[in-house]
Amino acid sequence: MEFTWTPEQQDLRASTRRLLQQRAPLPRARELAEAGTRHDPQLWTALAQQIGLQGLALPEEHGGSGGSLVELAVVFEEMGRVLFGGPFLPTVLAAEALVASGDAAAQAEHLPAVAEGERTATLAVAGAGGRWRADGTTAQGSGDGVRLTGVKELVLDGADADLLLVLARGGRGPSLYAVAAGAEGLEAERLDPLDLTRPLARLHLRDTPARLVGEDGGGAAVLAHVQRTAAVLLAAEQVGAMSALVEMTAEHARTRRAFGRPIGAFQGVKHRLADMAVRLEMSRSAAYWAAWQPPGSPDAAMGAAVAGSYCSESFLQTAKDTIQLHGGTGFTWEHDAHLFLRRARADATLAGSPAEHRAALVPLVLPELAEVPA
Amino acid sequence: MTAPLDLSPDAPEEEVAAAAERWLHENLPPAWLKAVLDGDTETIAAHRADAEGMRAWFALLGDSGLATPSWPREHGGLGLSAEQAGAISDVLLRYSADHDSPAFIGRGLAGPTILVHGTEEQKRQHLPGIRRGEVQWCQLFSEPGAGSDLASLATRAERQADGTWLVNGQKVWNSYAHFADWGILMARTDPARPKHRGISYFLVDMRTPGVQPRPLRQMNGDAEFNEVFLDDVVLPADALLGGLNDGWAVGITTLMQERNGLSGRPGVGPGKGEELARLAARTGTWADPLLRDRLLGYLVEERVLQMTTVRAFVETGTGPVGAEGSIRKLISSWLQEQAGVLAAEADPVGVLGRPAGTPLNPSAHDFLSMKQTSIAGGTSEIQRNIIAERLLGLPKDPDPEKDVPFNQRSRG
Repeated sequence: MEFTWTPEQQDLRASTRRLLQQRAPLPRARELAEAGTRHDPQLWTALAQQIGLQGLALPEEHGGSGGSLVELAVVFEEMGRVLFGGPFLPTVLAAEALVASGDAAAQAEHLPAVAEGERTATLAVAGAGGRWRADGTTAQGSGDGVRLTGVKELVLDGADADLLLVLARGGRGPSLYAVAAGAEGLEAERLDPLDLTRPLARLHLRDTPARLVGEDGGGAAVLAHVQRTAAVLLAAEQVGAMSALVEMTAEHARTRRAFGRPIGAFQGVKHRLADMAVRLEMSRSAAYWAAWQPPGSPDAAMGAAVAGSYCSESFLQTAKDTIQLHGGTGFTWEHDAHLFLRRARADATLAGSPAEHRAALVPLVLPELAEVPA
Repeated sequence: MTAPLDLSPDAPEEEVAAAAERWLHENLPPAWLKAVLDGDTETIAAHRADAEGMRAWFALLGDSGLATPSWPREHGGLGLSAEQAGAISDVLLRYSADHDSPAFIGRGLAGPTILVHGTEEQKRQHLPGIRRGEVQWCQLFSEPGAGSDLASLATRAERQADGTWLVNGQKVWNSYAHFADWGILMARTDPARPKHRGISYFLVDMRTPGVQPRPLRQMNGDAEFNEVFLDDVVLPADALLGGLNDGWAVGITTLMQERNGLSGRPGVGPGKGEELARLAARTGTWADPLLRDRLLGYLVEERVLQMTTVRAFVETGTGPVGAEGSIRKLISSWLQEQAGVLAAEADPVGVLGRPAGTPLNPSAHDFLSMKQTSIAGGTSEIQRNIIAERLLGLPKDPDPEKDVPFNQRSRG
C-alpha cells in the first residue's frame, strides 16, 4: 500500500544518505561543478559495489537487485538533497530504456556492466525543441549496417557516457539505436550547462554506425514509459532538493536577526516559509504516490503526469523563495541557492515540461475531452 | 432495540467492513436495500427525505454502534480504531445509510469532547442522543471580537449564589444553531486571569430562555450559519464541562477532533477538476488553450491534495491532527478559491446572469463561495503560522497580552 515503508526501504535510505553525506555532501557538488569535473569515479564504484545503486532496479538475471520504482525514488530523493549529479540519472534512464525495449541481447550486453558500475550510459532523445522526438535524426540501412545522421539535444553526460541510446526515425518510425562512445562520425559537443551539476552535450551524428535496440518503430512506446519513469525520479530528486532548501532557509530564518528579532518572527518571512513547506510536503506525496503505482497502469501514468507537473514547478518556486529569504547573500555565487535554481530550471525541460505533463492528463482522466481541438 | 455488534478490536478492516455490510443487509428497510443494490438513486433519495423513517433508521443504526464505532462499548460504541471506523464509514456511504453533515457537530465534536471531559452523569445524559441522532448540536465558540484570536472571547458566565451560571454575550458563525437542541459553549468565567486561563466550557440547552439564534446570510445567499445572542441565560450548575477555568484545554479537545473515523478511507480519483473541465466543454471555453492549462493545473493540485490525504491517513493514523492538517486546510482553501475563479471563467455568460427567479447557478455559487474555506475554521494566515511554528520551529507570533489579566488588556 502507498506510503507504508518496508524496513529494507528504510535501510536503503539510511545507507544511501550515510554514503552521500560522507563522500558527496553539498560542498562536494559545488567543488565538482566549479572544476567542471564530471564525477568522482571512486565514489561511482563505491555506489555500485557497496550498496548496488546502479543495479538497484535492474533485473536480477542481469546483475541487478530487481527493486521497484519506490526504491529508486528513495535513492533519488537522497541524491537530490546534495545535488548529486554526473552520470547517475542518465545511466539509470538508459538502463530503464534497455529493459523496456525487451531486447534481450542488448540487455545481456550492457546491463551487467551498468550494474557493476563499469559502464555509464545516456539517452539522446531530445529534438531541436527539447521534446523527446526523432525529429531530424534518421537511420539508414538495417541489421549491423545501420547508420544515423542528425542532431540530438540535451544529452546528459553525452560527451563522456560509454553508451548512447539515440532516438531516430527508422524504416517503421521512431526507433531506439545504440551508439558506442567514440563511434565514427559522432561528435559530442560539450556544452557549458546552466545546471552546473549535470554535464550536457549536443550530439552531431554523421553517418554514425549504430545498432537497433528493440523493435523497429518501437521507440515511441519505450520512451513514453521511460519518460514517465524519468518524471517520477526527477520528482523524487526534487523532493530531496526542496527538503534541503526548506531546512537551510528555516535555519537562516531562526538565526538571522533584524530589527531586534529573528527574521522568522516576521510574517512576511514566516508565511513564505510555510508555503515552501506546504509545497515540499505536497510534492513528497505526489512523487511517492506515483512511484507506488503498478508499472504500466493508468494510475502510474496519471501519477507521473501529476508529479511531473507539480513537483517541477514547486521546486523552481522553492529555489526562488530560498534566494528571496536569504536576501543579498542568496544572490551571491558563494551561496548554494543558485545551484538549486539552476537544477530546477534544467529539470523543467529534461523529461517534459510541466505543461506537457498537464496536457498528458487529458486522455487519461478526461478521455471524452481529448478530441476537442484547442 | 438491537444490541451493539460484537467485533474484536483486532479484527482486520475487511472483517469489520463485512460485518457492517451483513448488518445493513439484515436491517436496512428492504426497499431501500434493493434500491442501493439496483443503483436506483431516486428511491434512495425518497427514503432519505422521509423524516419519520430516517429518525427510526438513525436510532437503529445508533444502537448497533455503527454510527459511533470508535466510542467505547460502555457508551454504545464498538471500541474500534479510527482505521476500523473508517472502513465502516465507507460501507455506510456506499449504502447511503450514514448521517447527514449537520450530525457531525454532535458525533464528531461534542460527543468526543464529552467522552474525554464529561462526568458519568453528563455522558449518560448526552451520549445516547448523539449516538442515535436524536439531538442536534451546534458550536458556540467564535465571537464578533474573537475570531482567529479565539482566547480573547468576551461572553461572560458568572457563577450565582445558587451555583447556577448567568451567561451574557454574542456568538457568531454557528452552523445549524437555528435548529440545534444543544450547544457547546466557551465563555469567560474569570476576567482577572490571563485570557487563556479564565475560560470555561459549557453544555447549553438551546431552548433555555435568553438564547436567540439569528440566521446569518452569506455572500453566496446560503444561510447555514447563525449569530447567537445570549441574554441573561441561566444555566444549571452541571452545565460546566471539565474544570472551572479549564475551558481552553477542553476547547482544544474539540478543535483537534478531525480524524475520528467518520469520514472513511481517503482515495485518489475524479473530483472538482473534472467537473470544471466538463463545464468548460459544455460552454465551449475548453477550446481556449490558456484556460485549459489552468483547469488542468487545478486538477493536478487537487490530485496532489488527495494523495497527501491518503499519506496522512497512513502516516499519522489515529494521532492528533497537527501541522499536517494545516497543510491540507491551506491547500483546500486555495483550491476552493481557484475553483470559484475557474468556474466563472469556464462559464463566462452563465455566471453573469440567470433566468429571473431561478436559484443561483453552480458557477455563480462556486464564485461567491470561493473565500469561505480560507476564513472558516482557522484562516489561511493562522494555518501558515501553525505550519511555520510547529513544523519549521520559527518563533511564535508575539502576543503582548498573553499573560495580562483579561480585564486589563487594551480594547481593540
